[in-house]
Amino acid sequence: MTEKLEEVKSNLQDETKTITTRKDAEQLKIKYLGRKGIVNDLMKLIPALPTEKRAAFGQRVNFLKIEIADIIDELITKVSAEVIPKIKTELFDITLPGKRPFIGKKHPITQTIDDIKEVFARLGFDVVYGPEVELEYYNFEALNIPTDHPSRTDFDTFYIRDDVLLRSQTSTVQIRIMEKQKPPIRIIAPGRVYRPDTVDARHSFMFHQVEGLFVDEGVSFADLKGVLNQFIKTYFGQNIRMRLRPSFFPFTEPSAEVDISCSICGGRGCSVCSYSGWVEILGAGMVDPNVFKAVHYDEEKYTGFAFGMGVERITMLKYGICDIRLFYENDIRFLSQF
Amino acid sequence: MKISYNWLKEYVYICLSPQELADKLTNVGLVVADIQPVEDDFCLDIEVTSNRPDCLGIIGIAREIAAAEGGNLYFPETNVGSAHVDISEFINVSVEEPILCPRYTARVVRHITVTPSPEWMQKRLKCVGLRPVNNIVDITNYVMVETGQPLHAFDLDRLAEQKIIVRKARIGEEIVAINGARRALFPDMLVIADGRRPVAIAGVMGGVETEVSGSTRNILLECAQFEQRQVRRTSRALGITSDSSYRFERGIDPEGIDRVSQRAVRLIKDCTGGEIAGGTVNIRSERHETKKIVLRMERLHKVLGVEVKRDVAIDILKKLQFNILNDVDNFIDLEVPSFRGDISREIDLIEEVARIYGYNNIPTKTSINVRGSTKNKVEVVEDTIRQFLIGLGFYEVKTFSIVDTAPLQAVNLWSDKEGIDIANPLRQEESRLRTSLLPSLINTKRYNMHHGTEQIKIFEIAKVYLAGAKLPHEKTCLSILADTDYLTLKGIVESLLFNLGIFSKCEWIIFCEPGLLRNERAARVQMDGITVGYFGEASQELRFKTVSCLTELDMDFLVEKSNFVKKYHELPQYPPVFRDLAIIVDEEVTWSSIERCITDTKTAFLKEVNFFDVYRGKQIPSGKKSIALNLLFQAIDRTLKMKRSIVLSKLSSMPSTIPLAQN
Repeated sequence: MTEKLEEVKSNLQDETKTITTRKDAEQLKIKYLGRKGIVNDLMKLIPALPTEKRAAFGQRVNFLKIEIADIIDELITKVSAEVIPKIKTELFDITLPGKRPFIGKKHPITQTIDDIKEVFARLGFDVVYGPEVELEYYNFEALNIPTDHPSRTDFDTFYIRDDVLLRSQTSTVQIRIMEKQKPPIRIIAPGRVYRPDTVDARHSFMFHQVEGLFVDEGVSFADLKGVLNQFIKTYFGQNIRMRLRPSFFPFTEPSAEVDISCSICGGRGCSVCSYSGWVEILGAGMVDPNVFKAVHYDEEKYTGFAFGMGVERITMLKYGICDIRLFYENDIRFLSQF
Repeated sequence: MKISYNWLKEYVYICLSPQELADKLTNVGLVVADIQPVEDDFCLDIEVTSNRPDCLGIIGIAREIAAAEGGNLYFPETNVGSAHVDISEFINVSVEEPILCPRYTARVVRHITVTPSPEWMQKRLKCVGLRPVNNIVDITNYVMVETGQPLHAFDLDRLAEQKIIVRKARIGEEIVAINGARRALFPDMLVIADGRRPVAIAGVMGGVETEVSGSTRNILLECAQFEQRQVRRTSRALGITSDSSYRFERGIDPEGIDRVSQRAVRLIKDCTGGEIAGGTVNIRSERHETKKIVLRMERLHKVLGVEVKRDVAIDILKKLQFNILNDVDNFIDLEVPSFRGDISREIDLIEEVARIYGYNNIPTKTSINVRGSTKNKVEVVEDTIRQFLIGLGFYEVKTFSIVDTAPLQAVNLWSDKEGIDIANPLRQEESRLRTSLLPSLINTKRYNMHHGTEQIKIFEIAKVYLAGAKLPHEKTCLSILADTDYLTLKGIVESLLFNLGIFSKCEWIIFCEPGLLRNERAARVQMDGITVGYFGEASQELRFKTVSCLTELDMDFLVEKSNFVKKYHELPQYPPVFRDLAIIVDEEVTWSSIERCITDTKTAFLKEVNFFDVYRGKQIPSGKKSIALNLLFQAIDRTLKMKRSIVLSKLSSMPSTIPLAQN
């Protein structure tokens, strides 16, 4: 009978080798240790044995039972351990993208105006505003633009009535401020201006300008250059160069157009700068004595300079935007880039 | 103004490549927009500012280069010799409008042969973009490009009655210009007429009937001055512009006319073998007054911020052909040449010196006086609002202030008066100043919808224009369009006000603007009896695919009411007690009336009344709703111990039925 017991044990050991899942291991446990299992069947053999052998055999079957239980439990533990990763709660994936809060953007024109204000605020310039619907006087006469000047025609200015118009330049604010305030004056005036230009990639009937004015005793052309140079280096970059060209505006004398070295090609010449290496960014000059006369300033005592720049133009240059219409279409895909 | 590189070199000696020349010209204010090689020459396209008509001739440009680079100017031959037959034999000139034609000169050349002009002349004309016609026409063009003074040649034999009369056009007169355009003339236009009819539009274009043709044997050469505004008006009115009108509009050298005329007839004689009639018709109504100006060195330094040496300044002015009368001490006394009509004041001379001295040689100052600058309240409020809204995911937009007159654009929340129309609009689409920003925001939403962005949150800070007395009232508005529900955007507006330090309570009063806002979900927002703005869900008529809300607020009011003065309040030492309450009320009862009822009880320690839910359903009778709210009690000196029953008894002064909301 002893052989029988050994056979059971070796069978079990063979069977355990093929078991990989907990379920199969449980089945194996039932097969050997269940109520109708192999071990119980061995127990059933006892009554048939001679009396003197019964006790010893019973002991050995019990021992085997414990052995088998240990083997199977060990097996269960083993196969269970192997499946743990599959049934554990999901793994946290630290590489998943974060949940980004949705943040809006200031309009690029506002951003440029803010940048300009920031530079000039550091130089002591206050921000002021003026009306967009203006009297002809402020847009022209007071700015030394004679009655027969071409810019005063219907082709170049939107009129509401004979002497009321939509300002075509923010220079109007110069006059309004000087009428109210005595020197010293240091202001910039951002705002919308209007000109009857047919809309295309480079023109818009409405756009933004920033006007600047500095009036005091002893303000010179050298100061104008200093202030503009500071602005250009801060806004466009320290390695950008500035160039002034003589030009003509009725309200400044001497007048200048201010160019910067092309930021796209670094001055070597490209399509943005028409292969000249320079791009025009603003007009400036010393306030014409006739303007001081219009606001009853002592033109001998005070000198000053004024400048004006197109905000769209500067923004387009800075970001390489080639169609002005994008600013007013307000496509979110455009606005989100700045 | 297009010039030829080789042609220019005839008047000034320069050792500059075309590119170097372009750079020099740009530095003195004559911007060279383009350089094109033309055969063995170069064409430089120069932008001449409107104050510098003297540079609309190559000699003028040569003068600038001579001043900037040094080098002498060479002027062309003008000696016409003498002849036996006097011009008065052939023509009788009278000027009836001396103010509009201050100067008129005429010369006659006889026995000419009209042929193509010489090769060298054709080449130069082509280089500057002019089409060669015949020797006479080409010479008038050539001399115009050379000197800036327009000329016109008439076929002498076709002038009726041997007469030239400078007069105003008569009613019913018309002319066919040499470009083939037939135009009716009006009595405010100046014409050159012969004995019968107008033969040229003064300063603008000649007539086809008296133009020089292959059969022309004798010519009359006109060289005159016409009043600038007159030429501009006529040119605009007739829709004819020409190289002549362009120059007359800007002004020509009144003292150069006779010399130019001599130069032209000399060339005609040389090229055609004609015979110049003796004498010249030269009618002038006024003498040119030579302007005298004093330049103070001290003023020059003050304006430019650099000490330009006296010798340097004098040298510059001399080269620009100013006549120096006196240069003692610190003054330069001088006469302005007649071709510089743009110069009449000391400041103009300062610009001349600065130009030639070189703007880029003036130092760039690196320090200015100290002056503090602080943001004004408008800036602070606008910055605060922008930061607040973009943090909440709103995009700022900028839309046109000029809009069309479609019904939606007619929305006017702020005034009973109509919007302001532009007298000279470009198109109907942009013909009126807007009275609300909301229609523009709606269009922006639609634009984005069509370009794939369904959900949108946008705002704009801009002006609306309300009819006023002389000038309109420009009211700055903050308008928002958000694809959110009513209460979400309302909460944003409430937080925004809070952020601006505006704590006064808003009243939300039912408002109706059907095409714009959904009925029963729109409000006029009022604070201390003043309208702050309008708010509501977008009207279904707008056909958005999403629920959207709109608001337009009065920025001027927000700026006025905003308050950024902050003061620390000591933190409470003792915890608050919260008590929740639900009350069943009629459907019509509004939260604001419930809230008012509770606060009106002036219950001690009650600090906040907060809404948290509304429920309609099984346990609630129909026509009623259950409002759940939360009360916060707090004392500064102890921990309150309040039972629910106490809370209720404390609120005992609350009426058992809450009155229906008024508004």
